Amino acid sequence: MIAYLKNPLTTVWAILSLITVAAWLIGRNVGTDLQPSHAVTLSVLLIAAAKAQLVIMYFMEVRSAPRWLKRVAYGWVLVLFPLLYLTNQLVN
Amino acid sequence: MTISQVGQAPRTRADYLPGDHGMWFFIVGDLLIFGVYFLCYMVYRGQNLDVFLYSQQFLSQGIGVANTIVLLTSSLFVALATEAVREHKIRDAGRLLSLAIVLGALFPVLKMVEWIPKISAGHTPGENLFFMYYYVMTGLHLLHVLLGLCIMAFMLRNLRQAAQPDIKFIEIGAIYWHMVDVLWLVLLAVFYLMR
Amino acid sequence: MSTIATAEREPVSQPTEPWYKNKKLDQLLCFWSIPVFYNLFGLVFVPLSWMMPPRAPESDLAGVVEFMQSPNLLIASTILILSVGLSAVGNAMYAIQMKRMSVSPVLRFAFIAGAMTGAIVGCLFPMFCFGLGAFREGYSPEILQMLYDFGYLSFIGCLGCFFLNWSCLALAILLDKNNILPKWLGYYTIWQSVTEIFAATVWIAHTGPFAWNGLLAFWFNMVLYVPWQFIVYYCIFQAIRKQPESELYNSGPTPRAAYA
Repeated sequence: MIAYLKNPLTTVWAILSLITVAAWLIGRNVGTDLQPSHAVTLSVLLIAAAKAQLVIMYFMEVRSAPRWLKRVAYGWVLVLFPLLYLTNQLVN
Repeated sequence: MTISQVGQAPRTRADYLPGDHGMWFFIVGDLLIFGVYFLCYMVYRGQNLDVFLYSQQFLSQGIGVANTIVLLTSSLFVALATEAVREHKIRDAGRLLSLAIVLGALFPVLKMVEWIPKISAGHTPGENLFFMYYYVMTGLHLLHVLLGLCIMAFMLRNLRQAAQPDIKFIEIGAIYWHMVDVLWLVLLAVFYLMR
Repeated sequence: MSTIATAEREPVSQPTEPWYKNKKLDQLLCFWSIPVFYNLFGLVFVPLSWMMPPRAPESDLAGVVEFMQSPNLLIASTILILSVGLSAVGNAMYAIQMKRMSVSPVLRFAFIAGAMTGAIVGCLFPMFCFGLGAFREGYSPEILQMLYDFGYLSFIGCLGCFFLNWSCLALAILLDKNNILPKWLGYYTIWQSVTEIFAATVWIAHTGPFAWNGLLAFWFNMVLYVPWQFIVYYCIFQAIRKQPESELYNSGPTPRAAYA
């Protein structure tokens, strides 16, 4: 039991959960009209990118995978999130 | 590859491919397909910003965040179970995987808790483009979750019944389940949290 | 004379050597029926009727009437009436290859049933609707409008049957231990069948990306589907070529139980 708590994967999970709650606090909706917010969008997307990267690296074990897989999987995070951000900025 | 070979801890070995090429083909393709859907969502969102922002306030962020934690924790248990199988701790792996399945099964339940009041309040897919997108994308993801639960049930069966668990099969199921997790993380950001 | 008498009493337990030299001729004929079918299909839906790419769900009444009564639609319907049965021949070829897979026969029976119900709803129904407009004059514009909706909705909204039959094919490919078709094709087939679900939205949305001419409900599906259709035929062709002659139906002794 203690061994599982000490496992690095558990640390990764704790970080993931904490930044999820942080993203919620940033993007929290207080019930009235939502105003577009550049700061909220940017930080929420950054946190999501970090979380996706952590899950891919540690849970999916891409960290120790062959190089082609690293390129493809990290590439997905590195391309998708900036594109999402840019699309959001450009189309508005 | 025999079981004794893969039984060595891959953590210390560089260039170990978890699962098989077929599953990675599926995962990368699925990530790309979802990526295109998300980008289209951003375009339509930008074109109808008023509608999207107005509708977004009706989403239950609390349930969305709770479901994120549920999936992350379930993923953690699956990852720990995969390690346990490699270290030949089959009983531990079985317990961890059972926990992962129980948590994973909570996701559709919470999804229904989220959807049903929304639909009864009149926020159906026909209301506007945002809600159509919301139901289609979360529904597509839910389908992935249900498929993942089936796969995990077969993984558990393999752990409980086979003389030697099939580590490649366990890894295939595990990486699939983590992918479902990754997709939800993006969904949470673009549907529930961003403005 | 006595030999004939015995042949009448004893059912033929062993198919005789076929008269044709190429023992895979039956499968190859099925295979080549498919390009014929799809070329006719393409001819009918694109240059003859301009039914595809899909017209807008909210076209005005005059446009709908003009489309429903255009003389080309007559020719298109006729070709489709004559050729729609070819899809059954093509599906038989899938079933023969699925039979070689080490999976439950349930999958190939469900595949065939799904493919045929799909062909009825997705191909015959639209043909009836557009054919009614072309061959029967005197319907009021409102009725033509309804036939137009019915035709398109059944063509694009017939997802359930195709979702089922492609899923059966995907599952069979993935579970098969004989590697008749490559595993990645099984995964590709899953995407293909899951995107069929997107078509559910055409019942609700009249405009935008989820309508029957929309980016997500139609165009993305096409982007995934068209290459898939080519690739799956290529793979099936390879599977037929690699199939050992001893595994063919018309070679070697076949125990009667195999047909039961």
